[in-house]
Amino acid sequence: MEILKYIGSFFVLLGSVFLFLGALGIYRMPDVYNRLQAGTKSSTLGAMSMLLGIGFLQPDWMVKMIVIIIFIAVSNPLSSHALARGAYRAGLSLFQKEKIDAYEKDYKSMEDKEL
Amino acid sequence: MKRAFILLLLVVVGWVLADTFSQINFGESRMGDIKQQETVGAYYLNNTVEKLSVANVVTAIVVNYRGFDTLGEVTVLFLAASGLASILYRRKKRGEHDVMILKNSSQLLQTGAKLIFPAILVLGAYVFIHGHLTPGGGFQGGAIIASGFLLMFMAYKDYHVSHNVLTWVESIAGILFVSVGIWGLISGATFLENILGTGTLNDLVSGGIIPLIYIAVGFKVAAELTGVLETLLNFKTEK
Repeated sequence: MEILKYIGSFFVLLGSVFLFLGALGIYRMPDVYNRLQAGTKSSTLGAMSMLLGIGFLQPDWMVKMIVIIIFIAVSNPLSSHALARGAYRAGLSLFQKEKIDAYEKDYKSMEDKEL
Repeated sequence: MKRAFILLLLVVVGWVLADTFSQINFGESRMGDIKQQETVGAYYLNNTVEKLSVANVVTAIVVNYRGFDTLGEVTVLFLAASGLASILYRRKKRGEHDVMILKNSSQLLQTGAKLIFPAILVLGAYVFIHGHLTPGGGFQGGAIIASGFLLMFMAYKDYHVSHNVLTWVESIAGILFVSVGIWGLISGATFLENILGTGTLNDLVSGGIIPLIYIAVGFKVAAELTGVLETLLNFKTEK
């Protein structure tokens, strides 16, 4: 049981490091897309390893934690995708001076198809 | 003359309010000692678990001790929803179009919404069925279910819920709530008296009428909030 405790503590620590990096990224990054990247990617990994660590610390809760992890794995990329798409449609510009906008072509062709 | 009358009215209202507030000792601890049953809060905290075998004291207060108040709250929500619907809802005329959602969302979001939607419904049902055992209850579960429907409205622009079905669900849930109350009257107790056996603590079927009422409230709130969302999203405008 001692080894489970160490594994759980390691995962909780890892999760908190990732959540901290995500918060730092949201504070520091220049535009909305970079902030989304920092916020969602790190919170996915951070929350997942945090829940996994709690599952190791309390083995009775492991099944529930895995269910929550699956839910986060499905819902978090979806929400970040929808937010980024909404931001692009609202016309929020990129930060960089020399823009590399790979989505533009797809977006234009999709617009033509819809209208 | 009119101004003097208004001033007089203000003085009267102010005097009544000041008189009322001066009798309340603000800042005084009204809970009292938890062990001595001198206050109503201490009574709830000390007696709910033994007498009703309900783990969630908030639910016991909302549904059991103050069930009539909850019936009023549900009625207020119903009136708000039907008022909104009566102002905004009308059939589409020629040349009108939906204003809110003009384009379909991406295929990724549509597939994901289809995947998550049943899970949200199950979570909402879990929250209101276990209202007497875990934190949560009818209002919260209904709001969760309505948020699932909001996800579907956002993902699919042609997704509609029939107003007839919503009205039927809402009416049947309301009738269930009131008839549980009248059942108490018929069996010789007061309106909304907890007449069923309370069972053992932490069983799903325990707490008497509390799960019944919270299931009714959950369906009612879910139907009402979904109706509000449906009405707001299908607001028609002249082109």
